[in-house]
Amino acid sequence: MTPPFKPALIVLALACGLAHAADEEDALDLKSAEPAPAAAAKAASGPRLTLELAALHARGQAGQGSDSGHRAAVDLRWTGKLNEQWRFGLSNRLDDIHPVLPGQRSTRHHLREAFLGWQSASGLQSVDVGRINQRHGPAYSYNPTDVFRRGATRSVVTADPIALRENRTGTFMLRASQLWDGGGASLAWAPQLTRSGRENSTFSLDLDGTNATDRVVLTVNTKASDRWSGEALWVVEEGRGPRLGLNLTGLVTDSAVVHAEWSMARSPRLIDTALGGAAPSARHHQATVGLTYSLPGGLSVTAEAAYNGAGLNRADWQQLFAQGPAPVGALFAATQADQEMAARRAWMLYATQKGVLWKQLDVTAFVRQNAVDRSHLAWAELRYHWPRFDLALQWQRGSGKADTEYGALPYRQVVQVVGFVYF
Amino acid sequence: MPDRPVHPTPCHPRWTRRQAGHALLVLTAGAAAWPATTLAAPDAQALLARSDAIRNPSQPFKVTVTLTEFEKGVQVNTTTLLSLARTLEAGGQFASLVRFVQPVRDAGKVMLKNGSDLWFYDPGTKSAVRIAPQQRLMGQAANGDVVTVNFARDYQATVAAEEAVRDGEKQTRQSYKLMLTAASSDATYGAIELWVDAESSAPIKARFFAESGRLLKTAFYRKFQPQLGVDRPTETVIIDGLDPKAVTLVRLSDYGLRNVPTSWFQRDYLPRFSAE
Repeated sequence: MTPPFKPALIVLALACGLAHAADEEDALDLKSAEPAPAAAAKAASGPRLTLELAALHARGQAGQGSDSGHRAAVDLRWTGKLNEQWRFGLSNRLDDIHPVLPGQRSTRHHLREAFLGWQSASGLQSVDVGRINQRHGPAYSYNPTDVFRRGATRSVVTADPIALRENRTGTFMLRASQLWDGGGASLAWAPQLTRSGRENSTFSLDLDGTNATDRVVLTVNTKASDRWSGEALWVVEEGRGPRLGLNLTGLVTDSAVVHAEWSMARSPRLIDTALGGAAPSARHHQATVGLTYSLPGGLSVTAEAAYNGAGLNRADWQQLFAQGPAPVGALFAATQADQEMAARRAWMLYATQKGVLWKQLDVTAFVRQNAVDRSHLAWAELRYHWPRFDLALQWQRGSGKADTEYGALPYRQVVQVVGFVYF
Repeated sequence: MPDRPVHPTPCHPRWTRRQAGHALLVLTAGAAAWPATTLAAPDAQALLARSDAIRNPSQPFKVTVTLTEFEKGVQVNTTTLLSLARTLEAGGQFASLVRFVQPVRDAGKVMLKNGSDLWFYDPGTKSAVRIAPQQRLMGQAANGDVVTVNFARDYQATVAAEEAVRDGEKQTRQSYKLMLTAASSDATYGAIELWVDAESSAPIKARFFAESGRLLKTAFYRKFQPQLGVDRPTETVIIDGLDPKAVTLVRLSDYGLRNVPTSWFQRDYLPRFSAE
């Protein structure tokens, strides 16, 4: 180092040291303006009510016009304890959507959960009865082991697969669970409660979606180590063959988590179901593998690849679109309600960044690609937080030829502004 | 482990592990030259364990944690959590179950830390997600700021110096400066400089470093009050290492003894955890 730089570096180092000392002095003078924590904790107990208001503008495919719409939703969640051993859960949502979605009502109530639960004094044994939202699988885009997802999503107000889970409806069931150190098991019986077809009244319980058949689900969880754990599932369902499932998660490094899901069962191909003809069952495998990597600045990126052996291959997509819009609509309606993956193969990149420019601003974005027809869907959200209010700007764009999964969406681009008021 | 350069900033020159080691040697040599007030060199690991026992009750306990974040002196975020912590038979490190109380959008969410077993449960999506220690859950609050950790279990300590240090109340106190290096795969930080009171071993100040040598944050432990039979710090001032204007106050209140089964500290219990 040449001598003339030395004094400058010394001055810089001294200046930095003084600046840090001054910052520390300032930091030690800070005082919180918050109420006493005990009061805050008390205020937070009880039901949680959220009001959601949204306005959207949608641009149709080439040669088609644009549409505008708006919606409102009241969302209630309440989980509480009756005493040390008994607890209850209530969760419901009322949506009002304009314009009305095809085949649906503008105002729709969803009873997501209503259950009563008991647990032993140690908490190791528990029994729950009622409508319960039991979810399985660590994947983001497609959950082959989430055995209660079929027919459970009737309110689709976002393309974000994570946010969509919040609107999913539970299944009426009786469930018993046993925990032990490092693992647990549960047995759930979900009875058939309706034999009628699609219910579409404002206050429908959606039993045709969640409790259309008798099901028994056994799950066993175990922790191989602090870094690896897994779950095995066995499902017996009226009129279908047994389904086996496995999922696991692992901490690879302090920044990386891997996850995988696999399930196998005899089922009809989606193309056969959509076309309405004979739908013979065959053994199909479904799987998802993914990796989430987190950076110190708050950026978290997940890459996922998914496979559905019952999904559509290239020839199936061509056959489907050749039959006209009706079977295409039927396929999309069914896969949306079941959170099923229509394509044989797909991948997704999902990223979240907290505190962009301002601490209260979060960004979430994803790209999903149908790896068979190469169409893709991009979605991004900017969300700013206030203490009891969130404002989100969402953008969505589907790309692909007219005879592809995302190219066939009714709207090429959707922009939505959503406000969330938390009471 | 090979030396790895860190991102240089005007106020954080490049440090490598080897350089840090050299500095440690210099500091240790300095400590040896210090006109010692005690005849025998203190046992660094024992000092660290005593400091841990002041920060954390030895019995299973509950506590309310309030994180208040400041940007350039302006309060920008507040998070309130209810935490249950206990040591587990295996390893003796604390495991923590943390339930979010505020802000209301996060109320009911639960975090579990049991060694490297780190989970986040969202009652809205009904999903328990395994998270990496580096992954941020909410706002700017770091996972490590809200869980209970015994440093002596995960770090190897040496006495670097006996020196006067300014504490969180802006008072000068005689202290031992301990150099902590990660000794377990569960250690959150690569290294920690910890100043403990020369008489009581109470924690005064700490500087936390990444494995790369980068300063992550500086913490001051203050507002000591009797809690569960011991004078403990009820407030920690955390200053961000890269942006010293980003400050988090961590307040601990409503301490109480609460013994819960070890089997609660696993993913499957999270949907049923209420912390009440």
